[in-house]
Amino acid sequence: MSALRLVTRSVLRSRPVVAPWRGSFRGYAEVPSDKIRLNLTLPHQTIYQDVDVVQVNLPATTGDLGVLANHVPTVEQLRPGVIDVVEESGSTKQFFVSGGFAVVQPGSLLSINAIEAYPVEDFSAEAVRAQLAEAQKNATSGSEIDQVEAKIELEVLEALAAVAK
Amino acid sequence: MSRSIAPANTYATLREIESRLKSIKNIEKITNTMKIVASTKLSRAQRAMFDSRAYGETSDEIFKKAATQPATEGNKLIIVSSSDKGLCGGIHSQISKAVRAKLALEPEADLVILGDKAKTQLARSYASNIVLSFNQVGKEIPTFAEAQTVADKIFKLGKKYDSIEIFYNKFKSGISFEPTSVPAFTEESLKSSPNFSAYDIEEDLAEDLTEFALANAIYWALAEGHACEQSARRSAMDNASKNAGDMIGRYSILYNRTRQAVITNELVDIITGASSLQ
Repeated sequence: MSALRLVTRSVLRSRPVVAPWRGSFRGYAEVPSDKIRLNLTLPHQTIYQDVDVVQVNLPATTGDLGVLANHVPTVEQLRPGVIDVVEESGSTKQFFVSGGFAVVQPGSLLSINAIEAYPVEDFSAEAVRAQLAEAQKNATSGSEIDQVEAKIELEVLEALAAVAK
Repeated sequence: MSRSIAPANTYATLREIESRLKSIKNIEKITNTMKIVASTKLSRAQRAMFDSRAYGETSDEIFKKAATQPATEGNKLIIVSSSDKGLCGGIHSQISKAVRAKLALEPEADLVILGDKAKTQLARSYASNIVLSFNQVGKEIPTFAEAQTVADKIFKLGKKYDSIEIFYNKFKSGISFEPTSVPAFTEESLKSSPNFSAYDIEEDLAEDLTEFALANAIYWALAEGHACEQSARRSAMDNASKNAGDMIGRYSILYNRTRQAVITNELVDIITGASSLQ
């Protein structure tokens, strides 16, 4: 998989609303017209499965993206950043993801495959700072593979540093 | 008794039976321990499998909605998910049988084998098809990093595959599994899907997506195969322990009877000798 491209400017976009796609798909309860059904899955953990939510904000490589009900079907690659999930109850949960893909399917279904995602509260700013220093050291020394890996690590850690408290 | 013991009830026969009995008792302890270990591993493996299912199904969703079909011609790659360890019933032979059946239809397909057991079985008749093999598979619950490494090495081969199929054992229940195959779609298959135009997607993203989806599918196959293996090993070791227990019962009875016969013979000798002196 190609290394995640670092976005220097993030632009908040909202996509035009499109009429719900009535095609043939397996019969399960239709998503209510003002919600989007979210599947947020990790290899070792399922965070959301078939949960109707109000809005999801994604850090995509093409820019920040807000997904509401009936969003046009899209495929986006995720960059290291925070996913906001606005649940039905109104509360917002924030997860820091290192990368993955998000696909808005026809029928108001959002499928996210992320490799790692943790609640933002679980991170400690000092641990991030320490790892950042380490990664910066590795980015300039060592074999080529080590340098590239360290650069990817830096991308993730820099995004994390902006969020960790 | 399944075999006839030598009629002479001597001390030699007695020692023989005693040593057999000791070794069977040891075996029963070992198979019992293996069964318990497999049970514990099974509960963890099943949890990992359910998570991997949710993950893999989410990854598959776009191909379902786009109604993607695998290509029927061109270079074909078959990935086989197995493991290194045996004593798990028919796991490895069943998956090898399924792959062999597929290779009979497509003898030019390339093979990537995860696990030594399947490799030994397939190398017998299809050694020239194997392009990559991995070992140290199946010891622990598979991690996504392992699946990514496999996918990465496949891409590094540099060969363009038109269709990829992953063979693994599907977990049906605690006592049954089924060799299954799932396709991993390529960029071309996705782009030529009937409903692909419904998606708003950047040009170069389709390739990255299908590469990512391949790693996801490999991970799912590994996790499910791991759960099947632990469950098969648990029941195989359970049967072995039961059989060993039966044999212990039979040999214990035989031992006691032989012991009593030996003592009786000794007594007869002594008494005959004593009475002849009178």
